[in-house]
Amino acid sequence: MKARVRFFARFRELLGAEVIAEPAPGTSFLTLIRDVTRGNGEGHDAVFDEGGAFREHVILMRNGKRIEATDAGETMIADGDEIAVFPPVSGG
Amino acid sequence: MISIQAEDVDIGALIAGAKRPGMGAIVVFDGIVRDDDIREMELEAYRDVAEKELGEIAAEAKAKFGLLSVDIVHRVGRLRVGENILVIVVGAAHRQEAYGGSRFIIERIKAGVPIWKKEIRRGGSTWVEGDHR
Repeated sequence: MKARVRFFARFRELLGAEVIAEPAPGTSFLTLIRDVTRGNGEGHDAVFDEGGAFREHVILMRNGKRIEATDAGETMIADGDEIAVFPPVSGG
Repeated sequence: MISIQAEDVDIGALIAGAKRPGMGAIVVFDGIVRDDDIREMELEAYRDVAEKELGEIAAEAKAKFGLLSVDIVHRVGRLRVGENILVIVVGAAHRQEAYGGSRFIIERIKAGVPIWKKEIRRGGSTWVEGDHR
């Protein structure tokens, strides 16, 4: 199973533009992002708080649709998913 | 025209292309790089999603305000002071709808479309913190 994880803006600078992950079936959104950011102290700390939860300002998308951070532990990754993780937007 | 692009846009051509027989007002919003003691501004977008959301906002504005045309061009890449960042051209039968539609579109873009600005200064650079989640 493959999933594409994309980071934008400040998160991209810290974690890279994208990672192609191969999560096991039944992997949650939260677990996948934890796994992908593990080993990158500054990047991980930008996305997660001390308790291991998504920081309040972090925005998550799955296949172009926002998902709530509070649902990320129960939302399972499907093969071919595109996951995006980014800070608050500032366009316009 | 709904577009996320690096190239600048010809606003005059957008206005000319927007005109329809029943149209009585066109409002142009041109967001430009302000000189906040910066050298340049860098714009980044989650391109596919941002373009899709701009299209949805345009459709919503058309339905809500009865607009006859909507064009939105948001630029990405490195821009200098005075360059166009975002151009919105809205046409309607009357000015009230055109002004209302234009305002609706810019506020919706700022509230949620995945685009980011980074201010490039002599001593370093900083991402602009958005107000919205």
